[in-house]
Amino acid sequence: MSKSVLIVEDEPFIMEALSFLLKREGLDVATFADGQGCVERIQSLKPDLVILDMMLPNRSGMQILEDLRAMDAFTSLPVLMLTAKGQKKDRAAAEDAGVSLFMTKPFANKEIIQNVHRLLDR
Amino acid sequence: MARSLLGTRIRENRRSKGVSQAALAKQAGISASYLNLIEHNRRGIGGKTLLALARVLEVDPRSLNEGADQALVGRVEQAAALAPTITCETDKTEEFIARFHGFARLIGRQFDRAKVQDETLQAMSDQMNSDPFFSEAMHLMLSNITTIKSTAEILSDEEGLSDNLKQRFLSNLLSETERLAQTATDILQHFEPSAQKDGIISDTAPAEAIMENNDYFIKQLEGNFISPIDYVAKQNIAKSDEKETMDALVRYSSIIQKLPIDSFLSFAKECHYDPIKISGKMNVPLNVVMCRFAHLPKRDDIPRFGILECDGSGAVIFRKQLPTLSLPRYGSACPLWPIYRSLSQPLQPIKAFINTPTGERFLTYSLAQYADQNAIGLPARTTAIMIFTPDYEMFMPKSEIALQSNLAVGLQCSVCPRDNCAARRAKYLLQ
Repeated sequence: MSKSVLIVEDEPFIMEALSFLLKREGLDVATFADGQGCVERIQSLKPDLVILDMMLPNRSGMQILEDLRAMDAFTSLPVLMLTAKGQKKDRAAAEDAGVSLFMTKPFANKEIIQNVHRLLDR
Repeated sequence: MARSLLGTRIRENRRSKGVSQAALAKQAGISASYLNLIEHNRRGIGGKTLLALARVLEVDPRSLNEGADQALVGRVEQAAALAPTITCETDKTEEFIARFHGFARLIGRQFDRAKVQDETLQAMSDQMNSDPFFSEAMHLMLSNITTIKSTAEILSDEEGLSDNLKQRFLSNLLSETERLAQTATDILQHFEPSAQKDGIISDTAPAEAIMENNDYFIKQLEGNFISPIDYVAKQNIAKSDEKETMDALVRYSSIIQKLPIDSFLSFAKECHYDPIKISGKMNVPLNVVMCRFAHLPKRDDIPRFGILECDGSGAVIFRKQLPTLSLPRYGSACPLWPIYRSLSQPLQPIKAFINTPTGERFLTYSLAQYADQNAIGLPARTTAIMIFTPDYEMFMPKSEIALQSNLAVGLQCSVCPRDNCAARRAKYLLQ
């Protein structure tokens, strides 16, 4: 059974490219484009990995991450955070909130695929 | 440390004419040893000796004095202070200026430009750190780039893409490239200085540049040959700067209307260039009279006047510099200047002699007044004007000058060597 990834990203073309790349890797890919209702979507899908954009409409990726880590079911869910905000303080805040991996945009396709596999194989 | 270029100028003039020190001293009726001290700026001179030396050297005595370009000295020394790893012979700044005036002016100009650029960079840095537009625009730009990079990699690396998918990704690429171009354009427009937006790049406000180019006396306006509107229309001014320039010239024009130059000069001479007396005689508000002093024709029989105008925070609104007194553009002058004292006592004019660290003496008049006098319920807004002249001997009797006490002031703390100054707020850079 293939593993599942939820991409939470509000930029449709990034979402489309990521979705294509991960499907080519044989993964089940679901997408979501809003901060609002994102936690509920994760609760219902129970993906093996979440790729989470930091800046989302209505609710930030950071708030979603904090919500997830406060739930017993998701304390160890791999979360790969993607962001254009690559400052040290942003990375530190994400690490404090329990992010599994922090990647800044723009990324190389090969790099994100490798990281996805690494997190799924943990 | 009273310093002047006068001696250096005399030496340079003498050398350029191939006259020996002994010969010049003899013809001027002074001893060679005294001339030697003068030439090394160890003795100040004036009056008969200066006139005698100027006569022998066949130069205008005033040009020797005007050469004491202390404003330039300050700028060159500040430029040197900006590069502490380079040992500059700042003790020979005056000699350098006298011998290589063009290069010195170049350094001064480069220093001015660097200062403006530093301030622009600082403003941009502040803006970038606190500007929500910039933060949002950068996020958008990085998202654009991410899409383009990722999509391009797919098109380049993935084999066996269907035509539909290829078409789909190419379409995404095109859309995102257009969005990126728009984002970049928006950012540029947001940060470009207003003058650059319309194709004019200048480190001086256009109104100030126009005034400087005309020695603060625009003959077409003075003679009512042209209106400020038509005058501005003839200048190559960016649209974004037109209003500011127009405001400045309309104000200048209104001064001209109230105080036509011929009658003003006539009253000024009669009143010994005392703005308070002129105001009374001509029945024109004192602040208008003081502004008129900034716009006098450049003639040997008319004393030179500079002007500094600031708002209640000390920020410079308008300025006219003189070669021997440099004025700040961004309000970091010496807090001891009478103009700042006048802000605490609006409507009460202050007459004072000031003495700079380089030994120059100026007669100053300062006046603060309330702006927006009819604005009920708003905080009182004040502005202040200070006019100053080094040529007070042209209209003030020596006996009266002798009675005036001097107020020791500086220019800016960073280039002011005065020790134990209670008003110091920054260290002297040239120690």
